[in-house]
Amino acid sequence: MKNSALLLPKRFILSVFLIAIFVWSLFSVCWNSGLFHAGGFVTLLQIVKGAIEPDFTPDILANGLKAAWITLAYAVAGMSLAILYAFIVGILASGTLTSTKAAHLTSKIFFRGILGFTRSIHELIWAWLFVAAVGLSPYAAILALAIPYGGILGRIFADMLNDVPEEPILALKAAGASKLQVLVYGHLPLVRADMISYTMYRFECSIRSSAIMSFVGLGGLGYEIQLSLADLKYSQVWTYVYFLIALVLLIDGWSNIVRRGLVEEKRVNGLSIGWLSSFLTVLLIILSWVYVTAGIHFLDLFSDKNIQYGQRFFGGMFGAGNPHPAYLDKDNWASALKLTLETLKMSIMAIGFATMAAFITVLPAARNIANGQLTLKKRWYNWILFGFIRILYIFSRSVPELVWAMMIIFLFKPGLLPGAIALALHNFGILGKLWAEVIEDMDSRPIRNLSSAGASRWQSFYYGILPNVLPRFLTYILYRWEVIMRTTIVVGFVGAGGLGIQFKLSMSYFQYTNITLLLICYMVLVVIADFASESTRKAVK
Amino acid sequence: MMKKWVSVIILAVLVFSLAACSGQNDKQDSKEKKEPKTQEVFKIGAIPDQNAADLSKGMTAVAKYLSDKTGMKVEFVPSVDYAALVTAFQRGEIHMAWFGGLTSVQARALVPEANSFAQRPRDSQFHSVFITQPSSGINKLEDLKGKSFTFGSESSTSGHLMPRYYLMEAGIDAEKDFDGKPNFSGSHDTTYKLVESGSFKAGALNEAVWQEAVKNHKVDTNKVKVFYTTPPFFDYNWTLNSNVNDVFGQGADKKVKDAILSITTEQKEITDFFQTDKFVETKNSNYGKIEKVAKALKMIQ
Repeated sequence: MKNSALLLPKRFILSVFLIAIFVWSLFSVCWNSGLFHAGGFVTLLQIVKGAIEPDFTPDILANGLKAAWITLAYAVAGMSLAILYAFIVGILASGTLTSTKAAHLTSKIFFRGILGFTRSIHELIWAWLFVAAVGLSPYAAILALAIPYGGILGRIFADMLNDVPEEPILALKAAGASKLQVLVYGHLPLVRADMISYTMYRFECSIRSSAIMSFVGLGGLGYEIQLSLADLKYSQVWTYVYFLIALVLLIDGWSNIVRRGLVEEKRVNGLSIGWLSSFLTVLLIILSWVYVTAGIHFLDLFSDKNIQYGQRFFGGMFGAGNPHPAYLDKDNWASALKLTLETLKMSIMAIGFATMAAFITVLPAARNIANGQLTLKKRWYNWILFGFIRILYIFSRSVPELVWAMMIIFLFKPGLLPGAIALALHNFGILGKLWAEVIEDMDSRPIRNLSSAGASRWQSFYYGILPNVLPRFLTYILYRWEVIMRTTIVVGFVGAGGLGIQFKLSMSYFQYTNITLLLICYMVLVVIADFASESTRKAVK
Repeated sequence: MMKKWVSVIILAVLVFSLAACSGQNDKQDSKEKKEPKTQEVFKIGAIPDQNAADLSKGMTAVAKYLSDKTGMKVEFVPSVDYAALVTAFQRGEIHMAWFGGLTSVQARALVPEANSFAQRPRDSQFHSVFITQPSSGINKLEDLKGKSFTFGSESSTSGHLMPRYYLMEAGIDAEKDFDGKPNFSGSHDTTYKLVESGSFKAGALNEAVWQEAVKNHKVDTNKVKVFYTTPPFFDYNWTLNSNVNDVFGQGADKKVKDAILSITTEQKEITDFFQTDKFVETKNSNYGKIEKVAKALKMIQ
């Protein structure tokens, strides 16, 4: 730790700067009474009624159960591939295996580039691309999930490996350990807990992605939700949403047990939680792969026919046989860049709203505050508040953006704002959960000292908790912002605009070179996000 | 100690995940080699523009009927996305499909030899309706200038393409003249809900869907009214892929066509689903107008 007197102003400036950007994004909305219309209240009531009285007829329940299993199976199959990819490329991207400075830099740039490229594109877009290239195959869905998730995981793995404390590594090196030995005995054990914990969190995300992605025509909860929405059968929509919530809860619970198991080695009937979880993981992975790929040969993906169609598709994207490819056209660029800016604004607005909501709720949502461990203050309402907010978080993040958007559009004027609100509603639960875990995992001794010295709740928050957790809070804000930017595609249909809807239109009209152009725009956004994240991370370190 | 075994487990999981998929493939490999190549399945598809359960029921009935009539193995392949169905058709994985006007034109642009051969009598006289709130002051297409507007699915003929065409005829450029860009609601049902709630001032949808919504009180007619109905145009049809004779032998196309055209109300499940009493012949050239509009809008290349 450096001199903290110097640190605070720097963080202060950064906070002011981030808030200023958020305010700037708000100016893109024309704030007047026309923004809100009460006519949709009746429809909103119908939707809410569906939430209170979901359709629990046996048919729908059976259907929901099957869809939930499909969603889980695709998530597991996709994640297992993603972990493999992230583990290998992440280590390479961290540069821990290279010895010379030049090699270190090239491997870092090259592999980080690969990770950046693969995660810059939303899983839904990967799915579209794969379906167009290889047809309706389960592998299209698995790869579509594995590639962006691997990109995100790999990047986080690389960051974690880079951020390990230097001392133990230097000690190992001094003892004459080889690069590989340093990695296996130095880096990996140090980041193991964080890695597993983050992977579990991404696993929960992949459930939601798998649901969203299921349009690929292979069934799943998102598919059912979308169809019931289109048919205006709200009570059915909610049945499937509840299935999704149950699934997320299940994974969340599992992840909590694993996280706790990493800290304290608990034993259940003589078996440690770690062993049980690992066994369960292996079992799930095998079952999922067997189920998902039953009857379909992986090598079929590379059949002559597929290669031919893949070539035609990707050739089309590069403008083969097209005298006027969109990415060489000035007007197309102008409109695409305008959409890129819209996407940027919408995502900033969304993360801004989500941050505000999470900030207000996060303290009571931390377990160690609820039980008074951290602040040494116990109040009778602590647990009630804790339970209520945690349920709110789960609900918030389990309801897909699409469903949030569908409800909001009936009340707000279509445009960037309802899209941003829908994204914020979905992300605030994720952000809140991640933050609460940061507080739970923090060293409680300094705060307890503050509290026993007579600091009030707010004083111990401001001087004790906040400086401690701010860097990680910021990191999560920036990660989620990046995710939101790509997810804007999902809310495009509520008139939210941005790149997403244009991408969908180009796909529907088979305008391949336009797709290339839009993909370039997505990558520009991710580069911006990367740069912002990197410089902020450095600033708060 | 613990650190070590966790690393071992991570590795084991990774290896297992690999083994799980490759092992499975091996199994299938040997299975495939033993069994003789099974009979090719004639696959039919339909655009997902209505309730999925009904669609699946109706199309499965068609598959069964075709199978009885032609002796081929017929299967319905559901699809969630218009473009995905067109792509599958291009790849020859779907041998016959129930397309909308626009999707059939898109499919034939990709498979020039394909043939739109049958439709319901009503499909040659299809209409779209334009709807708005009674108090909006919109009474004709020209009034839509400066108002917010929603289409249905972007690949829909009656929910997007033809409404856009008649807007053009009335001198309205959908990209420039509305309040903001036009919206794509994704389905006909969502369109009237969005207009009913006031989210959008006006919208356009399939007339048949509108009439059914009114009949079943799914829409509040105090809040939404029709202010314009388009002239008739061609819409839905059965389109046969060009590879049918190659895969199923000479004359297979004729067998399938005859089977579709000889459907009567005796096949109640089919005719109920399609809300018709028979299918009549149609031809590619009936869709020339749609093709022209689609080309002008760059919806086909």
